[in-house]
Amino acid sequence: MSNNMNGTNKGKRLSRRKFIVRGGLGSIGLLALGSCVFINPLRRSAYGISESLVLPYSGKGTEANLWFEFTTENTLIFHSPKVEMGQGIFTGYAQIIADELDIHIDQIIVQAAATNTGILDRFTTGGSLSIAQLYKPLREMAAMMRQMILNEAANKLNIGKNALILRNGMIEYTGGALSYAKALEGVKDWKLPKKFDLKSNSEFKHIGKPIARVDLEDKIVGAPIFGTDAEMENMLHATILRPEHIGSKMREVNYSEAEKMPGVVRVVEGDGWLGIVAETFSEALAARRKVNVSWDIPKIWTEKDLRAYLKVGEGKRMVTQKEGSALEKEDEACISMEFSSPIGAHAQMEPNGAVAKVENGKAIIIMSTQSIGATQKSVAKALGFKTKDVNVVAKYLGGGFGRRLDTSHAVEVALMAREVGRPIKYSFTRKEEFQNDMFRPPTHHIVKGKMAPNGRLSHLEHHYASGDVAINSLLMPPAMSKMLGTDVGAMRGANVMYGNIKNRRAVQWHKTLPFATSFWRSLGLLANTFAIESFIDEMALNHQIDPIQLRLDSLAEDETQTRIKKVIQLAAEKSQYQNELQGNRAMGFAASIDVGAPCAHVAEVSLINNVLKVEKVTCVFDCGLAVNPDQVKAQCEGSIIMGISAAMHEKMGIKDGRLYPINYGTYDMALMKHSPKEIDVHLIQGVDDPLPVGEPPLGPIAAAIGNAIRRLTGKRLTDLPMKLA
Amino acid sequence: MKHTIIGFAILALILTMSQAVQSSNNIGQNKARNKEEVEVIISDKPFDKMMAVLLHKRCVNCHPDGDIPLQGEDSHLHHFDIERGPNDHGLAGYTCETCHSTENNIFSGVPGAPHWALAPRSMAWEGKSRVEIAQQMMDPARNGGRSPKEIEKHLTEHELVLWAWDPGVDAEGIEREKPPVSKEDFIEAVKQWIADGAIIPDK
Amino acid sequence: MKISFKINKEERLVDVDGNTPLLWVIRDILHLKGTKFGCGKAACGACTIHVDGKAVRSCSMPIKMVAEKKITTIEGLSDGKLLHPVQEAWKKEVVPQCGYCQPGFIMATAAMLDKIPNPTDEDIDQNIINVCRCGTYYRMRKAIHLAASLMDKDEQ
Repeated sequence: MSNNMNGTNKGKRLSRRKFIVRGGLGSIGLLALGSCVFINPLRRSAYGISESLVLPYSGKGTEANLWFEFTTENTLIFHSPKVEMGQGIFTGYAQIIADELDIHIDQIIVQAAATNTGILDRFTTGGSLSIAQLYKPLREMAAMMRQMILNEAANKLNIGKNALILRNGMIEYTGGALSYAKALEGVKDWKLPKKFDLKSNSEFKHIGKPIARVDLEDKIVGAPIFGTDAEMENMLHATILRPEHIGSKMREVNYSEAEKMPGVVRVVEGDGWLGIVAETFSEALAARRKVNVSWDIPKIWTEKDLRAYLKVGEGKRMVTQKEGSALEKEDEACISMEFSSPIGAHAQMEPNGAVAKVENGKAIIIMSTQSIGATQKSVAKALGFKTKDVNVVAKYLGGGFGRRLDTSHAVEVALMAREVGRPIKYSFTRKEEFQNDMFRPPTHHIVKGKMAPNGRLSHLEHHYASGDVAINSLLMPPAMSKMLGTDVGAMRGANVMYGNIKNRRAVQWHKTLPFATSFWRSLGLLANTFAIESFIDEMALNHQIDPIQLRLDSLAEDETQTRIKKVIQLAAEKSQYQNELQGNRAMGFAASIDVGAPCAHVAEVSLINNVLKVEKVTCVFDCGLAVNPDQVKAQCEGSIIMGISAAMHEKMGIKDGRLYPINYGTYDMALMKHSPKEIDVHLIQGVDDPLPVGEPPLGPIAAAIGNAIRRLTGKRLTDLPMKLA
Repeated sequence: MKHTIIGFAILALILTMSQAVQSSNNIGQNKARNKEEVEVIISDKPFDKMMAVLLHKRCVNCHPDGDIPLQGEDSHLHHFDIERGPNDHGLAGYTCETCHSTENNIFSGVPGAPHWALAPRSMAWEGKSRVEIAQQMMDPARNGGRSPKEIEKHLTEHELVLWAWDPGVDAEGIEREKPPVSKEDFIEAVKQWIADGAIIPDK
Repeated sequence: MKISFKINKEERLVDVDGNTPLLWVIRDILHLKGTKFGCGKAACGACTIHVDGKAVRSCSMPIKMVAEKKITTIEGLSDGKLLHPVQEAWKKEVVPQCGYCQPGFIMATAAMLDKIPNPTDEDIDQNIINVCRCGTYYRMRKAIHLAASLMDKDEQ
């Protein structure tokens, strides 16, 4: 195991990180230690960043964006710049801190940082990066704080540092013990140690262990931890009326009847929306039914229109991969297949919303958001306030999946709160949620390939059309989109990963759709992998080649390619992959690599009474160092089930010019009965540092299922969701 | 038997099933069975009037030919594949009352009436002709041992039956369709038909 | 209108419009936030509670219907300090991810186990029809079986 920070302080490595020390952030703090996590984006090529979407986690480089606070209660508060939306990162952070700080995990409180506790994270919580990005900075912070505590204790006790043992938040010495809090008490003049030690991987007691989630108890007793649970004194409730037709605008609105409804306090006219503010949420909803609106609808969109608008050959063309030569148009040996995926809804369980208070030139916004910093800025701009006068307090998120990277509705709540002069809680209705999602864009794919006489693929081309994923999102600065020209989100998983296929092409066709599309867990990966891995499977079947062998033969020899091979081999072995039909069951195989983390799935699908069911999934995933293997497995299970839902159930459509459906049930999703009874996850540690976890396992699932269905029915299903006619 | 039409008659085709057979283009993925058309005759004859109501989706949706209720204007299978359970009131984890109360809910759009439940399996109407339904309805072996008088009472007084004329709004706030005959005319027709001996025509 | 009922063994009296969904009374008047708003249309099950021991989706239940009835929410599911066996099982299997839907599932499961103490996989498939977006169904199934065995032990 290589660890270049083994045991000793690699001073040069750490010097780029600035540490800042204060007496405490609040009244309870004894010591606050801040750090600037700053990676100069110019150090990496813009294309390199975009390909992996591993965007630099950065503030301005001068202000601390990570804060530890040690309290008189002998607890450590980590003000996390990343939010917890189910990924289990708060638990991972606690494990990392516990190991480097020699503190008991129960003595650590991880909470989402409010904007006024120093957080300035431009790049939000997303991309499965929360653990991977902060792994080293957090270890260094914790090790630094440990050193400070040790130094203070040695001073106070007048004992040599070597005679002190730090354990469970206590400093043990011959004849006694001192708590960390006691050691820090009364210190006025803080000194940053020049040297501190990091633990070696073999010394980890928490990292790498399946420790129970730190938020587990709260989540099973129904503790009020979510954005929608927040309350403020004297608070009112609001609902918002928005356009329902794609591209439509409010023309005339009459709310005189609504204003007279019980409990209604005010109707607020916004820019393109109407807010109904009442004493209770149900009164606001009841009043909303009494509003009469007429709409300007420039065009009644249909699904046919959309399909004609978004397809390979239309829109902005960008070559995202070019190796060797392209296929000739007239090549008769070339095989071509077409695939598609529909509009996808996030359908996260907690509706969007926020509680806002605007008073004396200051605003407080409490909400569930993946974009704390951006929300703060947009609210400040809308109110004409300085950024620092807006405090965004992020709570636990009832699901994110990319939906809460845009939380522009915080502006609307803030404007209503200012106009009414009382705090307001606003919540989306479920219909509003489904019609105003930042959808996963539909996609269209043409995959072409050619088999060489030696039974290996000589050519593989992936042409893919997508709506916006990263382009026009706040995660991708316009300048970067322009520079790259490519939608780097739609590109996830689009390039052919098989290095031994000498002639590879990936061509993107991008268009901005008439409704908002953006990040949906794993971005383009799910649909792109579906197209490519279904195609490869079909090639193997056509040429009667073992699909595992065809994949292995298609991979080259370098380190990453070898990691992909290992994942494929282990998945075949653990699943005891069978290429032939087994009664009413069949197996399907697929693999992908996303943000450096390869994953392979074997789906075992049954066909009974014309009903398809995924009975078992074997998953092999190389995520590097798994800080919490149990939670990595949970992410794999979740990705598999969400992937089954997307592959076999979900589809947003357009009905009478509106995005439809508008509720669970009508929006068909995987339920308990659709979930596999067996999910067998095997983790490989192909590198020593943690890699992104939350999205890569979504990659191969749709293709794995499709490949099983092909063997079960003889039919190649090429459109998601896959349904038997 | 000669079928005489009194006054004017309207021949209507009512789709008791969704038009759309399951396809990947079917928005909302409403699950439905095969399309079947049931002939409905609306005339001044008491039997015709009565049957025009009984064949309406407000009635047929809860008289399905299976274990899953039907739902909505297109009579799709109830979302989440809700099941009738051992007593036609749902299963252990949920009953009809888990979501349906004794009146329509204007907030959720969930319909409700007292005794909200499915008709027993033996009283399935879905896909049956009006003659078959009438025969089944009057057959004590299949109607729960009811006499014609009791059937009359059920059809004209039971709150769940009369809910058909007060079906409320759906989840989108859109009013549900009512049967093609008014409640008063229906009640009168049922009473008349039973008073006339509950004669079921040949077709 | 004034409506009195028992919630988590406590007598409460509220004075609201009788059509107000029970969900909003629980969340905004009684400040019990464990019962969640997911869809407001009785589709997702996040607001599942017990009324007289039976599972009810509180977003679709007008407050006037619960007069003089006994309501249990996630906050009142366990008896005193100990967790309810369903919660205990959920903890042992580390079920929640985002956690938002979990109280509804736990309440639905408790209602099911009351009638079916030893559910089969098929029972679970048919009876537990709430929606979870994180995809925790796989662990939930294990937790439901575990809860059944924990309750079995309690009985003995």
